[in-house]
This record gives sequence, C-alpha cells and structure tokens, in this order.
Amino acid sequence: MTGRGRYLLGKAVWAIVVVFVVITFNFFLFRVLPGDPAKAGSRDPRLSPESIIALRERFGLGKPVFLNFEDGNPFDSQYFAYLGALSRGDLGMSYAFRDEPVAELIGRALVNTIWLILPAQILAIVFGTALGLVAAWRRGTSLDVVALTFSLFMWSLPTFFLAILLLVFGASYLDLPTAGRVTIGVTYGSFWEELVDIARHLAMPTLSFTLVLLGEYMLIMRSTVLEVFSEDYILTAKAKGLSTFRIIKDHALRNAMLPMVTLIAINLAFTVSGAIQVEQVFSWPGIGNMTVDAVAQRDYPVLQGAFLLIAVAVVLANLVADMVYGWLDPRVTTA
Amino acid sequence: MTAIVEATVQPVAPAARISLRRLLSRPLGLVGAIMLLIAIAAAITAPLIAPYDPYAPVRVTIQDIFQGPSAAHPLGTDDGGKDVLSSLIYGARVSLIVGFAAAAITTVIGGLVGIIAGYTGGRPGTLLMGVTDFFLVIPEIALQIVIVAIAGQSLINIILVIGVLGWATTARLVRSQTLSVRERKFVLRARAIGAGDVHILRRHVIPAVLPLMIANTVLIVSLAILSESTLAFIGLGDPTVISWGQMLNFAFNRGAISAGAWWALIPPGMAIVWVVLATTLLGTGLEEALNPRLKRHHLERERRDARPPRPLSSGGLEPLRPNVPLAGAPLLSVRDLVVEFESPSGPLRAVDGVSFDLRRGETIGLVGESGSGKTTTVLAMLRLLPPGGRVVSGQVLFDGEDLLALDPGELRAVRWSRLAIVFQGAMNALNPVRRVGDQVSEAIRTHDTSIGKRAAALQAEELLARVGIVRRKARDYPHTYSGGMRQRAMIALALACNPDVIIADEPTTALDVMIQAQILELLAGLSSEMGMATIMVTHDLGVVGQRCDRVLVMYGGLIAEEAEAFRLYAHPQHPYTQLLLASFPDLTRPDRRLVGIAGTPPRLDDMPPGCPFAPRCPKVFDRCLVEKPPAYNLSHGRRASCFLLDPEHADV
Repeated sequence: MTGRGRYLLGKAVWAIVVVFVVITFNFFLFRVLPGDPAKAGSRDPRLSPESIIALRERFGLGKPVFLNFEDGNPFDSQYFAYLGALSRGDLGMSYAFRDEPVAELIGRALVNTIWLILPAQILAIVFGTALGLVAAWRRGTSLDVVALTFSLFMWSLPTFFLAILLLVFGASYLDLPTAGRVTIGVTYGSFWEELVDIARHLAMPTLSFTLVLLGEYMLIMRSTVLEVFSEDYILTAKAKGLSTFRIIKDHALRNAMLPMVTLIAINLAFTVSGAIQVEQVFSWPGIGNMTVDAVAQRDYPVLQGAFLLIAVAVVLANLVADMVYGWLDPRVTTA
Repeated sequence: MTAIVEATVQPVAPAARISLRRLLSRPLGLVGAIMLLIAIAAAITAPLIAPYDPYAPVRVTIQDIFQGPSAAHPLGTDDGGKDVLSSLIYGARVSLIVGFAAAAITTVIGGLVGIIAGYTGGRPGTLLMGVTDFFLVIPEIALQIVIVAIAGQSLINIILVIGVLGWATTARLVRSQTLSVRERKFVLRARAIGAGDVHILRRHVIPAVLPLMIANTVLIVSLAILSESTLAFIGLGDPTVISWGQMLNFAFNRGAISAGAWWALIPPGMAIVWVVLATTLLGTGLEEALNPRLKRHHLERERRDARPPRPLSSGGLEPLRPNVPLAGAPLLSVRDLVVEFESPSGPLRAVDGVSFDLRRGETIGLVGESGSGKTTTVLAMLRLLPPGGRVVSGQVLFDGEDLLALDPGELRAVRWSRLAIVFQGAMNALNPVRRVGDQVSEAIRTHDTSIGKRAAALQAEELLARVGIVRRKARDYPHTYSGGMRQRAMIALALACNPDVIIADEPTTALDVMIQAQILELLAGLSSEMGMATIMVTHDLGVVGQRCDRVLVMYGGLIAEEAEAFRLYAHPQHPYTQLLLASFPDLTRPDRRLVGIAGTPPRLDDMPPGCPFAPRCPKVFDRCLVEKPPAYNLSHGRRASCFLLDPEHADV
C-alpha cells in the first residue's frame, strides 16, 4: 500500500474509533449524570401509557446497564439495546412532539441547518482567505490595520449579539422578516416565489454567520501567509525571476492552505456554536434551535439525538479535512 | 474559537520571559490591561457604585417596564422594571468570576496533561494525546449544553463545564512546548549528570512553559466569558445570578425589540465585547512580549529608498587596480556597496563599502566567519535582501547595467537567466509541495516563453541527470530526496537558464564531508564546462584554496584582503588572514601548530569605531582604533585593508 493510502486508512480508522466512542459516551452521559433522563423519561407525564411501555422496552430499563452477567446472554443489556436501536436508525421518540420519531425531526432540522451553514461557510472561507492573503502581503499598511481591527472586533462580539443587531437592522431598514424559514400562511404562485421568500429569511442569518467566521478565517490566513512568505523557497522563487503574482499563485498559496485546512476543521466546533446562536436569534428551524428547545422542554431523546448528530458530523468533517490535507501535502506519505 | 488561540500562541524559546516593560511598550497590551482593570474595579465596587441593588426584591408596575434612560435610570429599565445600569455593573462579577475560574481550571488540567504527555513521551504520552485529540474533535458547545442541561444550571456547574471541557487545546500547546524544551541541550546535560525528573521539571521545564501558559490563560478567559454568555443567552445560565448573557436573553425574548428598548440590549452586549476585547488584547500583548516576531517577509514592496538612485553616468567606473591590468573587462563589478538592517536601536551596518570585480569564467571565493557580511553582500547584489535590509549606497554593474537601478521587470529578466544562486541549506530552498522537476522547468519556462511545457520538462530531466539524479526522481517531491540530492537538484535548478554567473552561498553546509567534496566537484566541473563565472561564498578555506582563482576575505562587513588564491596562502598580508590560515589545518604540514583567534567577531550592534578586527588583532596600534582602514593596492593585483600596509606606516 502506498504511503498516502496508509495515511488515509489510518485517518478513517481513527474517525470510526472516535464515532464509536462518541456513541458510547452519549449513552453513558445520559445515564450517569444526575437526573437520569431514561428513567425520568419513562415517568414523563406528556407521554401516552403505550409510549411509556415502548420506552421501557426500548431502553431495556429493567436490564443491567452494560453487560448482562445474570442471564445467559451477556449482550442483553441497556447498552446493547441502545446500539441495536441505533443501527436501525432508531433514535427513539420525542417527548415534547407527541411521539414523533427523533430521527425524522432531526432529519428535517438538519436540512435547514445545512441551508444556513453551507453558504455562510463558503462565503467566509473565500472572503476570509482572500482578505487574509492581502492583509499579509500588504503587512503594516492601512488595509492591514483595518482588516485586523475588524477581525478583532468580530472575534470579541458574541455571535448572538451580532445576530440581534443584524436582525434589528434587517427588519428596520431592509424590511426583512425576523423569524422562521418561510412566511407562515402564504401560498406561493411559483417555485421562484418560494425561493425568494426563503432567501429573504436567510439573508440576515447568513450574513451574521459569515461575518463571525470571516474575521477568524482572515486572522488565521494572515498569520499563516506571513509565515509562508518568509520561507526560503519564496526567496528561491523570487531569485528565479518570478513575478509576485506567480510566486503567490504557484508557491505560496498551496503551502498556506495546509494549516488553513486543519484550522477550518478544528473550527467546525465553532461553527456548531455559531449555528446554535444564529438559529436561536432568528428562530431558524435547524439543529441548533432544536437542541435549545429540547433543553428547555427536557426532551432528552431529541437532545441525545442532536448531540450524536453534531458530534458525528464534526468527526466526519474532520476526516474530510484530513483527506484534503493528504491530497494537498505530498509529505504525508512519509509522516 | 480555539483556533485563534492556537494561531496566536505558538511554542517559543524557553529563555523567553514576560517582561513587564516590554508588555507596556506594546500599546495594545496596555490598552487591554487598562480595560480589564476597569471591569474588575466595577465588579469589586459594584455595591458602592451601582445606583440600585438588582438582587433586592421590588414591586413593579407595568409602567416601570422598558423605560427609556432618565435621571433616575441612566440606562433605563429592563423587562422586569429593574435598573439596567445596576444589573450591568453587577453582571461584571459573574462574567469575570466564570472567566477567570474556568480559565484556571483549564490551565491546570491542560497544563498537567500537556507537561506529562510531553515529558514522559512514549506510550503514556501517545495515549494522553489520543484522549486530547478526541476532546478536540468533540464540539465543546454541544457537550456544554447537554451537561449543564442534565446536571443543573448552577454557577458552579457552569464554571466546571466550561473549565473542564476547554483543556484539550491547552494540553496540545503545552505538550509541544514541553517536547521542545525536553530536547534542549541544557536539559539533556542536566539529565546526563544525573538530575532527577522532579529537578528537571521544576528547574527547566516549568519555567520554560509557564510564561506561555500565562499568556494562553488570559486568552482562555476571553473564551470562557464568551461561552458563559452564550449559555446564559440560550437559557442555560444560573437563574439566581445576574449575568450579561442572561440580561440579553430576557430582553430579547421578552419584547425589548418590539418595545424599541435598545437600552436593554446594547449595554449588556457591549459589556461582553468590552471584557472579551480587553482579555484578547492583553493575552495577545503578553504573547507578543514573550515572542516578539518581526513579521516581515520576502514579498514586501521594496521601499522607495531601498535602492540608490540611477547613477548619472554608468561609464565612469573607476578601475580597482590601476597598477596591474588583468585580462578582460569585468562582467560584474561591485563598487562601495553599503547594506544596513533595520533594528529597534537604529540601522545596523552589515556591509560597509565592499568592492570587487568578477570576470567571465572566473571563480572567486568570498570567505569569512558567519556574520562577516558575505551572504548579505551577494543577496544585496540581486536585491534579495531579507526584509528590513536595504542597500544604502553603491553600485552593482552587471554587463554595463546597474542592477540596483533596474525597474522590477528588468530585474526579473536578469535574475536566474543571467545570475543564479545555489542557496545554502537546500532543505528549505525547494518548495515542499511541488515536484522537483516542475521547479526546474518552471525556471526554464519563465525565461524562455517560447519553449513548450513538455520540452521544458524534458530539459529539466536532462539537467537533473547531469547532476546525477535519475530521471524518474524528477517527478518526486523534495522530501523524498536526501540532503546531498537536494543540493544537487539545487545546482541543476541554478544551471537551468545557462546563466553567466552562479553564486553558491555555502553550498555544502550541513552535508557530510564526502558529499561536500562531491557537490563541490560537480559545481566546479559544470561551471567550467559551461563557461560560467562563479562566486563561492564559504567559511571553508580548504574549498577556496582548491577551487578558486581569487579569494576575497571578509571581516566585519569589509573586504580585509583580496589576492589570487595561491598568493594568499603563501603570503597573507592582513593579520586576520594570517591568523585564519594559522588556525586552519594543513595536511602537507602536519607538524605545524594550529593557533585559534582569540575573541569573537564583532556584533552588528557593537561595531568598533575603527578597524573591525582591531579588538582581536595582535598587531593593533592606536590608528586602528579610531580610523577605518582603506583598501591598499599591493603588487600582483592584491588589495588589503590594514594600516600596516600604509606606505607611511612603513616609513615610520
């Protein structure tokens, strides 16, 4: 096997291990902590008696937690019941939403969150790296100072506060809606009309998210590019008689993107935090909003499912980042 | 959010200490410190300066809610009819307590894990880092929400959750710092003489890691404050205390926007910005004070005054040796080159009036100890000085044109196609993410636009083959090359455009002796075969003796002596050259005693006013201490800068 193949396999195995640990961790978290949601859930007054029986059955509440030493089958335990349910895509039933399957609730919310995150991420990465590059190249100029000040301020501004400011601004000056994904109670004449309505709802949440991420990407790119620009191979490229544009395009950019890829991946946790806050302010029906509502309503199955989804999504995104890194950097074959 | 901390705080040299003076000299750090002190003062004196006690139960009527700013309520009232200003002042307590307590927990856990993982290394270290990597991947906020939701929303729980979950980033940082300290000479030495782990940790590792951890902790405070306000805003704050995040939560969710009550929203938001900005500025300031980095790079725009103006007449160049005409007009003439570097204490002169000629096909050696200005001289010739360096005066005439006066386009055309450089330490001089062959063909195609991609690639392979690298290695990346191979590839790269002059800047440093000989053989063979002139920059007198026609000995930014190689060896004129040769082993005269030169070369910021060699010179006399010696022309086209050679001195 080639070095690169071994590298990718190693990363994939690590991701699988982490996902498995997350799944196990998720199981114990909701049982070990005070309040034991599984038991509490089975007494939740909002549930129908049939649901409670189903719940006790599903959680295997009468059984041992991890391994069953009493009966013949050691795997006849709460933990393995949970794993079994999970493998069937069964995340349980919501307490608050009257017995709706958690998996379906999460699926719907996930689509909305992706609508919010994806455009903002792309915009922030494109503009953040471009700005960071220019700021580093023109280090010490007024452009650099403005960009740095902007980033510092964006970094200090809590995401939810920025979102509130933009919500007020959008509603007052641009006549944009303040909540939800679509205008409630409207029937659309065409698909185009529906799209425009969604875009109007998305504008300010996307802008909030983009601004928050942008400052950070800019800062990271700037410090990375400064580092790369002072490397010996840049001096070689300059001595070869290449123009500044070609030095940046052919020699600096790819090297600068290496740490960026890693940092964007590490930053995914930050993205999650941002999504929760932006969704909350704009009542955007995504995963973040669902998580916060689940907390308020002590809807533990939803909370558990959302946590699992967020954690697994971040682990997988990290795996993708590792793969991109392996593709960009020939040295991983020996690392 | 963790990424900012990682990007700004990097492992630093262990000698670094946080100096208060240095911190205060950085305006941003000072501003941060003052802003933080104001917030702390407000938190401590809250009962004295707040107009009302926000924790006192009050009876409110509907008229009290969301009242605009007035004399009684400078920042108006909130959704509960309470005074916003008072809540704001008391809110500082919660933010700061959570911020500092959580950061302390993070630092203790992360620091311990990092030091243990870095110091013990091996299996336990790897295992600990595996756990750390796991926690780095798990999104903190999701875990915080779940745990606070299940464990209960008390201030203690919030502090614990934020503090305990943040450790992974710190652990990573501390580990890499510990690893670098562990391998340092003084630690290895301490271990070699039998010092115990406790001693090494206490005396060497912890002092080296601590300053970095302090700077990091301040940045963690800002993260913790943001986390606390986020949790409070989404309704997971401690309901029994007043915090800024909670004020925003209540105002936002209880109609402040529809009531137009900006005073209930803006002040708590800006208060969060205030403390986060304060701690970020302070932390960044501390980090900069610890690890001052001149953030300069190779692509900065050349300063207007970085090159002297175009000379009025390029014809009137004074020949260097009026009494001995040597065959052929010089291809390259350097005249009175002066180079300075910026420094906090003013400009430092690295090259102080260097002049020399190079003829077609000739090989000259530029010899000197490190810091003598030899590399700076050759980089200045091609305007490739590192950032902060500039040519103050002088001329570099190449084929009749002053390189220092060319415009950028003309300069690019000359670079590499006519003057190429073999850089020292080819380790980093080749781009790690591009194939070696591509880097060679790129040079060819830059200066010959008519050649096709395929033809250039073939030519590159040919060049590599010529320096002894098999063709298929052209498609490989530099990291698969050995040190010697990389240096060969660098030579192939320098030959790519068939230049008139090759400058070899210490081409064999960091290679082992056998490879050194091979590389020099290769370089000398190819340059004479292709008729190129060569400037060999080196500290190795042996190399120069074998390979060079003429030798220039540099010391303290000056050319101490210039002579044909065999004459220099036979009859060194400058006391420095004499001592240098005496300190160099000669295989033909094994009985000769080797003598070292007492003292060290002068530092740029501490140059003697007279002759730079005066402090170490055994033949020093009073004139040397006050006056810089000019270059005296001697017989056989030799020159030396020493007052001993002054005709007047000989008369005395």
